[in-house]
Amino acid sequence: MKKVININFQGRVIPIEESAYEMLKQYTESLSKFFANEEGKDEIINDIEGRVAELFAETLKKGATCIGEADVNNIINSIGRPEDFETEDMGILQNNATNENNNNNNQQSNNFNNNNEPRKLFRDENNKVLGGVCSGIASYFNIDPLVVRILSIIFFGIFFIPYLIVWIAVPSTAVQQIGSMRKKLFRDPDQKTIAGVCAGLANYFGVNVWIPRVIFLMPLIIKFLDKLTDWDMAFTPNFMFVSVSPGVIFTYVVLWIVLPEAKTTTEKLEMKGEKIDINSIKNTIQNDMEGFSKKAQQWSMNINSQVSSSANKAFGSASSVANDASQFARKTSSSLGDLLILLVKIIAYFFGGLALFVAIVTLFSLGVAFTTALPLKDYLITQGWQNILAWGTLLFFIWVPVIGIVTFIIRRVTKSKANSNYFRWGFSLLWLIGWFCLIGFFVSLKNDFRYKNNPTENSLQINSNISLLEVKGKPLNKYNSSWYKFDLGDFGNLDEDTIFIKNYKIRIIKSTTPNYQVTMAKMANGNSKINATATANKINLNIKQVDSTLFIEKGIAINTTDKFRNQHVLITIAVPVGKRIKINSIFMKSVNFNTTSFSSDDDFDDFYYGNDGESFSYNNNVEYIMTEKGIKRTENNKPIIDEDIDNVDIEENYNDENDDSNKKNKLENYKQSREALKQQIEQERKDLEQKKKQLDEKQKEYNKTIDSTKTTAIKQTTVIPTISTLKVNNDSNKTIVASCDIIKKRFLI
Amino acid sequence: MDIQNTQSQMRKGVLEFCILSVIRKGEVYPSDIVEKMKLAKLQILEGTLYPLLTRLKNSGLLTYRWVESNSGPPRKYFVMTEQGLAFYSELENTWKELADAVYLITNTIENVEEQPNNQIEENETQPNNQF
Repeated sequence: MKKVININFQGRVIPIEESAYEMLKQYTESLSKFFANEEGKDEIINDIEGRVAELFAETLKKGATCIGEADVNNIINSIGRPEDFETEDMGILQNNATNENNNNNNQQSNNFNNNNEPRKLFRDENNKVLGGVCSGIASYFNIDPLVVRILSIIFFGIFFIPYLIVWIAVPSTAVQQIGSMRKKLFRDPDQKTIAGVCAGLANYFGVNVWIPRVIFLMPLIIKFLDKLTDWDMAFTPNFMFVSVSPGVIFTYVVLWIVLPEAKTTTEKLEMKGEKIDINSIKNTIQNDMEGFSKKAQQWSMNINSQVSSSANKAFGSASSVANDASQFARKTSSSLGDLLILLVKIIAYFFGGLALFVAIVTLFSLGVAFTTALPLKDYLITQGWQNILAWGTLLFFIWVPVIGIVTFIIRRVTKSKANSNYFRWGFSLLWLIGWFCLIGFFVSLKNDFRYKNNPTENSLQINSNISLLEVKGKPLNKYNSSWYKFDLGDFGNLDEDTIFIKNYKIRIIKSTTPNYQVTMAKMANGNSKINATATANKINLNIKQVDSTLFIEKGIAINTTDKFRNQHVLITIAVPVGKRIKINSIFMKSVNFNTTSFSSDDDFDDFYYGNDGESFSYNNNVEYIMTEKGIKRTENNKPIIDEDIDNVDIEENYNDENDDSNKKNKLENYKQSREALKQQIEQERKDLEQKKKQLDEKQKEYNKTIDSTKTTAIKQTTVIPTISTLKVNNDSNKTIVASCDIIKKRFLI
Repeated sequence: MDIQNTQSQMRKGVLEFCILSVIRKGEVYPSDIVEKMKLAKLQILEGTLYPLLTRLKNSGLLTYRWVESNSGPPRKYFVMTEQGLAFYSELENTWKELADAVYLITNTIENVEEQPNNQIEENETQPNNQF
């Protein structure tokens, strides 16, 4: 029982079954899509429809009461489906760049409909959960999609990126049907707010427009919530804003450039990827599945028969089995080959995807790293030109190539060809601007660092009635509460408007007086000597003494008005002979004494202190004592030999009359034990050499005996030896020749 | 290399020529063209034919006339224009040259020498006889 409706089709009234009507509608829609870009589209469609109507009329004339599905199918077959139309029209269409898609679709469809073609991997739109990748793979291998899904969830981490890639790269089953074209990512100009990227994405993934929009606006929303509620969300706001926000903008811009705008109706339909013909999808899949299962059955039967026959023949001759096996291999190789190719493809997709992903992430994080440094800009750069140049450098020199390269990669992957020259030139030009900005920026910055001030030395009042001076970093509570703010590692700590840079060094020298002395020299650069001096004078590094502890502030404070002009401070602590000094570990951690702070560094070469050429590696939390010969590590208030021999001259210390006998003995012991060790090594080496000699001799003897046995063996033979055996040994050639003569003679006799 | 693709490429070139040659003989209805070509065992889908006809019409090689039919709306009958005739004769020449060339090449030079000349001539005239 089927419902029949009357339609007015091209001026004829036609009674038609409802299901047949659906088919007809889908068919005409597919036609209008196929000819969307054709000149005289309406005329062509009218002609075809007119012909269809005529054929319907003929069918009705023959006595049919109404048009059924079979009739429609017959007629469609006689007129042809769009994918069967011959592509001679493409020569004209190719002028229109957008029609390339059509062409591809056509060819794809042609291939697909040919039953002789090897099976292809498609995303299964009918059983899809997300993108139909799993079900597509499942149907390819003829297994339950659930299995693939479970596996993919287990390996979610490594599967996620390939999933996305396969999703985008593999055509869906819906693609291959009548007129329905592959769903494509476009920018949607109809629903756009900025560029229609979100709308396009929504169309592609078949979700509501606001979902991508919310995702894109997420960092802003969080920021807003943060501001609104004044809710201290630990480190999230900063983190989110710094790393996600550029990411979002970056993604948006890249998509903006990469995605074409859906201009024509065909493109709009492609973007929305409306499924045109559900029936035919079903049919095609069913046919396909049947074909595949038949193939699989055949294959398994082949295997069975071959295995059994080869098993039978195995009792017979071995050669026939081999023959059979080769046949079997030949037969199975094509199906196995397909499988292998698929596997290789999957692996290639996986690694390709991974590599691309890594490349894109690296580029992106490069951009983010520079953007993160943006808040520091205020501490370095004066307003006006320099600021503009800094922004220009960030945008054009760093982000432009990052976006450009990522875009290029994506375009390569998607094989998008449109307007590549335009983009290339655009990006090159912008990058050139970036270069100018960069150069200008550095020139102006260099100018600001051109001059140095003449450092002056400030002595600090130190209470000298102590035998040990402990150097500590000043504990500053505010750092503890703001741990989630920018931690710039060695560079400094950033607070609301002040940055503390650790640009200072501590030098420990021998005091000429019996007192501790602490002096501080401030230095800075500037665009003139006067400015440099002014900046240097503004340096405010607090050093305070509390009992035997010397507190040094964690860094030189620099705020947005006093820019960073290489302010640095040299703190010289003069330790009198016999007195001790200790560097606190907490302090060490933040100031990093080991690398920067203690040595008389090259930076200060031009500084009037000169340098004494000494370089120590100091250990934190260890007391050092000042001796006549320099600073020494101590233990129980007495200097000991440093384990690090490089830094302490043992010989000199040993000869020093002032040193006690304890030390002398230690050194003696050390020397003796070393001597003994040396002798032992020598002895063993000699033994080894001797053994080697013996071995060599034995080897020689061994070789000799072999030779002699051979020659004697030949001599003893009574049969004429074949030539091949005579060639056994080159060394014994002569003897062999001789023995041959003997044998010949003997034989002749 | 896809055999299907090559085959359709080969067909593509001659399709237009064949259609024109059918229309040259007088006013035709598109489905008649399909029938005639079917007789010559050259299958063409109406879906392919209609766009082609429209394009030929738009480029001035063909024109059409509405003919009343006894059942239903009037039908479009195609006829060739002067321009179309000139175009066709050009194509015919090209086809002859091409057919000769293809024949010579595919039957290799040695074979040609052995074969009587009149057979080649027969072959030349074949396309004309068919339509």
